[in-house]
Amino acid sequence: MKLRAWAWLALSSLGPLWCATRPHYGGALAVDLSTAFNTLEPAELPPLLWPAIAETLVRVNARGEVEPLLAASWQRESEGKRWRFSLRPKVTFHDGEPMTATSVAPVLLAALKKTYADVTVTAGSQTLVVQSDHPMRDLLSELANPSAAIVRKTEANTFIGTGPFRVANWEPGRRLTLAAFEDYWGGRPYLDSVVINLTSTRANADLFDIPFASPRRIVPEATRTWSSSPRELVALVAAGIDAPVWQGLALSIDRAPVVDVLTQKRGQAAFGLLPQWLSGYAFLFQASPDLTHARQLIASARPAPLTLTYAPNDSFARAVADRIALNARDAGIAIRPAPGANGNLRLVRWQLDSADAFAELTRLAGFAGAPERASSLDPSRPETLYEAERALLDTNRVLPLVYLPLVYGLAPRVHNVERNDAFNLHLENLWVDP
Amino acid sequence: MSFRVKVFLSITATVVVAVWIVAAVVSTLVTRSFERRDGERTAALVSQFRREFDRRGAEVARRIDAIANSEAIQRMAVNLGGSEPDANRYFDQAQALAREQSLNFLDLVGPDGRIISSAEWPARFGYQESWLTEQANWKSAGTFLKREDLADGSALGLITVRTLKAGERTLYIAGGLELDKDFLDSLPSVEAMRVQLVRNFEPLPPPESLGSKLTAALVEAVRKQPREVTRTGTQASITALPLLGRDQQLLAILLVESSRAELASLKNYIQGTAWTVGGGGVLLGLMLSLWTASRVTRPLRELTASVREVAGGNWNARATVESSDEVGQLARNFNQMTQQLAEQRDRMIQAERVAAWRELARRLAHELKNPLFPLQLTVENLQRARDASPEQFDEVFRESTTTLLAELDNLKTIIGRFSDFAKMPAPHLEPVDLNQTARDVVKLFDAQIHAPGRPPVEVRFDTQDNLATVRADPDQIRRALRNLILNALDAMPNGGTLAIRTESLNGAGQGKVALEISDTGEGLTPEECERLFTPYYTTKQHGTGLGLAIVQSVVSDHKGTITVHSQPGKGTTFRIELNA
Repeated sequence: MKLRAWAWLALSSLGPLWCATRPHYGGALAVDLSTAFNTLEPAELPPLLWPAIAETLVRVNARGEVEPLLAASWQRESEGKRWRFSLRPKVTFHDGEPMTATSVAPVLLAALKKTYADVTVTAGSQTLVVQSDHPMRDLLSELANPSAAIVRKTEANTFIGTGPFRVANWEPGRRLTLAAFEDYWGGRPYLDSVVINLTSTRANADLFDIPFASPRRIVPEATRTWSSSPRELVALVAAGIDAPVWQGLALSIDRAPVVDVLTQKRGQAAFGLLPQWLSGYAFLFQASPDLTHARQLIASARPAPLTLTYAPNDSFARAVADRIALNARDAGIAIRPAPGANGNLRLVRWQLDSADAFAELTRLAGFAGAPERASSLDPSRPETLYEAERALLDTNRVLPLVYLPLVYGLAPRVHNVERNDAFNLHLENLWVDP
Repeated sequence: MSFRVKVFLSITATVVVAVWIVAAVVSTLVTRSFERRDGERTAALVSQFRREFDRRGAEVARRIDAIANSEAIQRMAVNLGGSEPDANRYFDQAQALAREQSLNFLDLVGPDGRIISSAEWPARFGYQESWLTEQANWKSAGTFLKREDLADGSALGLITVRTLKAGERTLYIAGGLELDKDFLDSLPSVEAMRVQLVRNFEPLPPPESLGSKLTAALVEAVRKQPREVTRTGTQASITALPLLGRDQQLLAILLVESSRAELASLKNYIQGTAWTVGGGGVLLGLMLSLWTASRVTRPLRELTASVREVAGGNWNARATVESSDEVGQLARNFNQMTQQLAEQRDRMIQAERVAAWRELARRLAHELKNPLFPLQLTVENLQRARDASPEQFDEVFRESTTTLLAELDNLKTIIGRFSDFAKMPAPHLEPVDLNQTARDVVKLFDAQIHAPGRPPVEVRFDTQDNLATVRADPDQIRRALRNLILNALDAMPNGGTLAIRTESLNGAGQGKVALEISDTGEGLTPEECERLFTPYYTTKQHGTGLGLAIVQSVVSDHKGTITVHSQPGKGTTFRIELNA
């Protein structure tokens, strides 16, 4: 009896715990975003929203791996010149139209044409064949981009996707209301609706972004936050800077205060171009500031004053630029930070949208004006990735500073949040206390 | 210098000197007054600056106290005093607080002296501000000046520091206002005064930006030795006030510049007035001198003119007597004197006429007496011959008539000479070559000069070639030369040298020709020289005394001059100067 009583007591104490962690259907999630957008085109939406409305054939999972989404499977043929995708069955658009290969093909073709000029997309019954005369090594990465999201544009100029939420109401630039898509192929989401207020700087919604930009949101202490894996690279890009000056500048910059203070420890010091989760070897580039050596290099070079430009209205970029100018001044380099884009030095914020390290580095090399440094990339030989990145860094054209994640603040009533360092936050997984 | 000029200069000098003295005195008094007022205004402005400095310092302290007592800082202190302090989260706290309190500078500094947040240079978080931790009691330090480093240079700040306990640790709050142009603009505006703040840290302002060399020199002087200095230039008076920092280093110099344009304008006005009055004085002097001259010197000038007339031979000239003063008395005396002189002259003329007639009578008697006596003897001899020996009468008659005719010729000659002198004809002028004329005349005397038994006379010509011709009557000139040469030969009975010289006279006597005839005879005494040209005066035993008088008459009729130079025993030289 005594044992049974104890067992009963133990079971009854677990009851509330069970109730507390069990997913709850229903309810509305209030989301405040600091940014604004005036179109629902997936590529223009924040990473939090576009996957809730529209889906791509494949996506990057929490481990940074590509996984099936609207495409149930795929086959790579002819050394990547032809790809065959099998579409997921029983997928319908928000207006009830079934997703077919015929409806997907033109959307896909328009998206891929930007990257692969000679690409063709052939629709089968439930399959799509993507073909080109050249190997499409980055095709999966391209297909995971929001620009390749499968959506239909209506006559009312709205986009209809296949995601777990449909657009219930849209006030451009002000508010977006999403409603649960009952016929979602992955099952109805927990939330009934998501109400997104734009350009809000409050921090009392269920979910709000904490951007590394203006307007800065005042986040109360002990606010629960979620951070993604690094999704942005803040770097200096230059052209025509002498090697000693560049090296002196690189040695003068102390990234730790930038990470600790300006990112409030949410960012990571970047010494390589690709983050650790993407390349796996980022730690190899790690270095410490060396002001003495920097001064020696600068003293011999005697550089003219430089201008460091950053995006106007980007307070984070401005703060980083000011800090770099301060570090550089300690080393003997005069740098004048200014908003704009025509400085000797530019502070750029590079979106790490791709889960494909090879594709990302190729894009970065092109952006840095040294595409030849990525010509030796061979996905079958992982060591070429490191060699190409090292070569790109050695061009003295791009200097990584800090990686930034996506950061959101969460109210206590929000549950089932992805683990930190995941690639993205999925609204369809969230549920809220009533 | 005329009396009128003297009067003019005296009056002008008196007026100008008086005006200059007055202008100098007024200018000096105005300058002193202006400088005294300038000093007072500068002192007032400096005093106002100090008051404003203190007022702002108090205001800064009040605002920093408000920040130290703000909820945000209190929470920050709690966090930093806790077990897990996180200063990073406050890196932009200072900007908001500085904005709230309208401060230009605000640094929140942690216990380790590192900047947690900086309003004026947000990027400096983490940098060391060790000067804050070196002092424990900042409350007593008050507000002080400090150089504040900024991203784009430096600024001068009026800084207050407060400390706050964060558990066992200390939080430093240092902030303030910039001492800039706005600060200076808040000072009361004083006309013609300018306040300038020169910072004494890099980059130093270039000297030319300070406005003037005087300012630059003043700044340099204060930099070398920080103390209040005042210097005065032509354009402005400048006072430099060193502004020191907490550890007495010179951080800035306050320049209070007082324009002297007003003074310069005033001085210019005084100077202009002085010039005007001086000019008026000169004009007044001129007018007074003219007036004085008209009242004082006109009688004198009239008297002078009368004197000149008298000197010119008008003995009837009289001065006008218009006043009873000294000048009038002088005119009266002059008139009396000239009247007496005229009377004396008339009497002298009378006497001279009588003397001349007597002399003429004497000369005539003497000249006529000589031939009359033989005439008388001859006639008496004829009478005796007729009575005594009629047979010889015819022969005596013939001899007597011959003698009578000769003496009558002699009488005729004498009378002719007198007649010639009496009726000298007017000269008929034509170009005459004196060299040639002189040679021609000398040639007439060749027979006399070379007469047998006569002691030798050497004739020497020292004539100038290309001698200008003179406008003269050649006959009269020849006659005058004949008389002079005859006199010269007569003066050398024992032989000698007859010298004839001619020359053109240039310079003052331009257009004249001189001719000299010299002998080496016995010469004349000065008394003889004086009377030599007097008619009927002669030194010769048988001379008429008309030769040289005729010469002088000819020369005078030709508007020329004749002079004589002689020394007894050394000969005589006559010099004639005629117009060319």
